[in-house]
Amino acid sequence: MMQFRLEKRAEPSKFMLYATPIAAVALTMLVGVILFSAIGYNGFAAVGEIFLTPLTNPYKWQELGVKAAPLIIIGVGLSIAYRANVWNIGAEGQYIVGALAATWVALATHGQGGFWILPLMAVAGAIAGMAYAAIPAFLKTKLNVNEILTSLMLTYASVQLIFFLIRGPWKDPMGIGFPQSRRFDVAARLPNLTVENFGFLGDGALILKGLVERVHYGVPLAIFIALVVWFIMTRTVFGYRMRVVGAAPHAARYGGFSQNKTIWMAMLVSGGLAGLAGMLEVAGPFQRMVPGFATNYGFTAIIVAFLGRLNPLGVIFAGFVLAITFVGGQIAQTTMGLPDETTGIFQALMMFLLLAGDILIKYRIRRVQPDARVGAA
Amino acid sequence: MDLTIAIIVTVVGASTPILIAALGELVVERAGVLNLGVEGMMLIGAVVGFIVQFHTGQPLLALLAAAVAGVLSSLIFGFLTLSLSANQTATGLALTIFGTGFSALIGANYSARPVPLMDSVLPETIADHPIARVLLGYSLPVYFAFFMVFAVWFFLKKTRSGLILRAVGENDHSAHSIGYSVLGVRYLAIMFGGAMAGIAGACFPLLLTPQWAEGMTAGRGWIAVALVVFASWRPMRLLFGAYLFGLVMTMEVYIKAGGGLFSAIPAELWAALPYLATIVVLVLISLKRDASTNAPACLGRPFMPGN
Repeated sequence: MMQFRLEKRAEPSKFMLYATPIAAVALTMLVGVILFSAIGYNGFAAVGEIFLTPLTNPYKWQELGVKAAPLIIIGVGLSIAYRANVWNIGAEGQYIVGALAATWVALATHGQGGFWILPLMAVAGAIAGMAYAAIPAFLKTKLNVNEILTSLMLTYASVQLIFFLIRGPWKDPMGIGFPQSRRFDVAARLPNLTVENFGFLGDGALILKGLVERVHYGVPLAIFIALVVWFIMTRTVFGYRMRVVGAAPHAARYGGFSQNKTIWMAMLVSGGLAGLAGMLEVAGPFQRMVPGFATNYGFTAIIVAFLGRLNPLGVIFAGFVLAITFVGGQIAQTTMGLPDETTGIFQALMMFLLLAGDILIKYRIRRVQPDARVGAA
Repeated sequence: MDLTIAIIVTVVGASTPILIAALGELVVERAGVLNLGVEGMMLIGAVVGFIVQFHTGQPLLALLAAAVAGVLSSLIFGFLTLSLSANQTATGLALTIFGTGFSALIGANYSARPVPLMDSVLPETIADHPIARVLLGYSLPVYFAFFMVFAVWFFLKKTRSGLILRAVGENDHSAHSIGYSVLGVRYLAIMFGGAMAGIAGACFPLLLTPQWAEGMTAGRGWIAVALVVFASWRPMRLLFGAYLFGLVMTMEVYIKAGGGLFSAIPAELWAALPYLATIVVLVLISLKRDASTNAPACLGRPFMPGN
């Protein structure tokens, strides 16, 4: 019988580092076919609708951008934190309070108008996200309380905060009893891209018309943020420091890098970006605060960060991959009656397969011939 | 008197699933593994328990099926973190995301359909007596939880196998070098944790609300993980912690009924209270951290034999 054995590589494989996320996506589709066939669906059709239709139908591309934007922004922040070994898994809560702060600005400036409202909402969202992330950061640095549990508990609390505000103080007076805030003024809504933005393309811009109508400014902003963070992390002392503290805490201490400062930075940056993503969502697609605002983007972004190998450029790629599963999940729901939750299973499968593949970075698989083994021993 | 009894009965009910899940996680962590997938395994246990109860009406079968489902889902975690030495934190999170989606998928056709709750162990007529009601008026999982507190304590403290499990959690390399299978022990511990989380999940439809609802465990699995820290990895303290939480979770109903100052507090704050209380408890426990409240030394560290 053939046997396999793991052999430690002298150096981590760069090739595997980047090949395994792609393999994880491909294998997810394969496992998906098997899994969905096993529970009585047409597995090939399901995987096709979820993974391919969003790509082959150009009118779904803008949906991909709209879904990918918050995932990329939150995922970039989380990748910084995870690199520094700071386990902020409460991004969902920071995303929610960011959106609540932005909503507060929008409601407080209702009827005023002005170009400054959107920037103010963005600042409020980012600060609120930071403030919410500061709680686990404080507890971690001062009292060594596990940041995983505290950031997550705060997420559950933030969902209740949405309910409290939209049932009470922020309830839309015109909402016929619905627990939701009033719709934001135009000045507090994130505008969509228009064909005029692409004027430099001349007549070619018209081709874009149908493809950009639903894409708001948060989408290009998300990619811009990822590029800026990539530059900071790879080209500046700050980025170097964050990476060293995560990879080798002892060396970092010798190098005079304070661990506490790193925890603070990691939490504030990831919380601030999650808060900003919350502002972009509430001012963009939602345009008001509703009970269903907790969309799980904060949790999905954990998968985005890992699938993107904690690298901002990889996060752009991973953000679009996860966006495909969201958009494809909706397509499969209407065309095949596949339940909404299917998306979550594909996302989790991707994460499992990615984590399983990680072993190939540090180890190689060697085939061991039974007779050769005696000689080797 | 009636109100007191009602409070005790509700608190015991609410505490039971947290206690069962936390006991499982305690054993896992004592073996040096951090499985953050408790919430996901509980949801899988809840939906499987519900479905079996719905179709067979046999609560014991439902609990057993939930335990098996918990073990199977814990094996995904075990394989990744033990055999492939994947990052435990990330794998546990993935397991929770998986359990949330998977349970919602297979439970999609069962929403809002009622099942019978488990009967209490005593016949109704005897259970009418207040003292009998408080002591013996519960269904089986409540006594199972009590029994397991003792059993886990006895196992860890008094048995040879328990000693080996603790050795694996405190110093995996020494345990390995004197010939114990670190990965074998950890696999068994993880499966035990999975079975307990599955049973804990099934307590939701069988004991608390007689139906299946998406995400019905509502973060209780995470509170169970936090309770293990609160109990500083000791089963008896876990018992105390779980009942404290049961009290916090059910306080709302009775204080509202009693009226007065507290009834002015918004419902959403009450709903957020268990989560906020968890944070407070974690802070309090960190303030009095000493040698007796330390985590197992190898907690969360991957182990590769032969390296």
